[in-house]
Amino acid sequence: MAICAPVFSQQGHPLTGTWSGDWGATSTQRNQVTFVLNWDGKNVTGLINPGPDSIPIASVFLDPTTWTVRIEADTKNKVHISAEGKLEDLGSYHRIIKGSWTQGSTKGDFKITRT
Amino acid sequence: MRPYCVLLVAVSAFAQSAATYDGSRQVKLTGVVTKIDWANPRAFFFVDVKDAAGTVANWAVEFGNPLDLEKDGWTRNSLRIGDTVNVEGVPAREPRSQAFAKSVTLAKTGKKLFVAAPKKPAVAAVHEPTPRWPDGQVRLGPPPSKKGYWKAPNATALVDSTAGKIAMNDEGLLKNLSNVDRVAPFQPWAKAVYEYRQRTLLKDDPLARCLPPGGPRQFQMPNGLQFIEQREVGRILVLLGGADRNWRVIYTDGRPQGQADEVVRGYYGNSVGKWEKDTLVVDVVGFNEHFWFANGGLPHTEALHLTERFTRPDLGTLKYEVTVDDPRTYTRPWNGGWNMQWVPNEEIQEYFCEENVEATLSGKESYK
Repeated sequence: MAICAPVFSQQGHPLTGTWSGDWGATSTQRNQVTFVLNWDGKNVTGLINPGPDSIPIASVFLDPTTWTVRIEADTKNKVHISAEGKLEDLGSYHRIIKGSWTQGSTKGDFKITRT
Repeated sequence: MRPYCVLLVAVSAFAQSAATYDGSRQVKLTGVVTKIDWANPRAFFFVDVKDAAGTVANWAVEFGNPLDLEKDGWTRNSLRIGDTVNVEGVPAREPRSQAFAKSVTLAKTGKKLFVAAPKKPAVAAVHEPTPRWPDGQVRLGPPPSKKGYWKAPNATALVDSTAGKIAMNDEGLLKNLSNVDRVAPFQPWAKAVYEYRQRTLLKDDPLARCLPPGGPRQFQMPNGLQFIEQREVGRILVLLGGADRNWRVIYTDGRPQGQADEVVRGYYGNSVGKWEKDTLVVDVVGFNEHFWFANGGLPHTEALHLTERFTRPDLGTLKYEVTVDDPRTYTRPWNGGWNMQWVPNEEIQEYFCEENVEATLSGKESYK
């Protein structure tokens, strides 16, 4: 069966939109994660896992010269989250960010895809 | 499984897409015509070409838009299956047997069947006065009982009017990437996105997937456009001849512009116009982010706000000026524009980008 990329691609700020994927310390221990990001002209703001247990994003840093992204947030229990990765396949609707994830003392990796 | 679809490119009749074809190379082919696909918007024929080792490859040769070819005297029978032809053209970038023809010659007789050349529209004499309605207001369409439409912008890229001349091709590809900073007052992310699109030869252009050319880009399309002024209901329709043959409404009934955050977002936005003496001034907000608003890959966000000014100093000239205000993408508002030419006694052609949409949606391999 053939699969096509949606034709309704998002051509604005490359971080704007909903991203989903997972993170974890190992390839078998994975946690689903969703990001909702929005560019307001000065900052990228958003939430991790929108819903009753959502985590507001404290800061997003994007270096457009390398397309590296660093996202910082703190859970309700004051556990710090730091995700640092690289934006890949910039021209695609289903662009991805993947890199390293630190949550408290747990270190792992993450990969999220724009949905 | 195919991860994505074959790129379809909506281009003018005699312009090859930089994303599909490598203009820096040339190819010469001699072979027998095996098939002719006389389809709008892009006609192809196929030739069996034998290489030095005797291996035969079937080449797909694109040679223009059938409607323009017909205007030049072509018919679907000008070239016949079984003819042996010599083709000079530009090869595809991807390693496949495809070329864009620059010339096609019948091997048997030496008769030139086709030579690619930019088509110059018939242009109205500029000394003819601006047509007006009985109350004196400028007409954007034809004079009474006449036909005509607008075509051939004298610039096919939108650049900041303070930048001076910047060398680009018809698709808005910079000749020199070091000029990026002159094109527009980009925010850093927008500059990087624009550079990426330029470096990748506009391969992700939504127009190539038949999405509408919103914003100033609708006035850059090779197949022109037509204004239908419906003064009795206070609106102007802009009928687009190219791309996906779409249309846009400019309301001139005095309604206020909606708040940008509340307008339903679309490709053409919400347009409210009013006449200021001989200039139609149109305020546009409510754009989505699914398209490129100008050739060359200029980015924008939903905050895009355009102020367009249309003036017609004579019958044959439409002056288009636009102020681009998108504080999420650019560091300041900036202006650009161009002139379009009146093509008298003709109407916009039928040109459907969607011709190949079936292949697009199915992911089916296609030469188009």
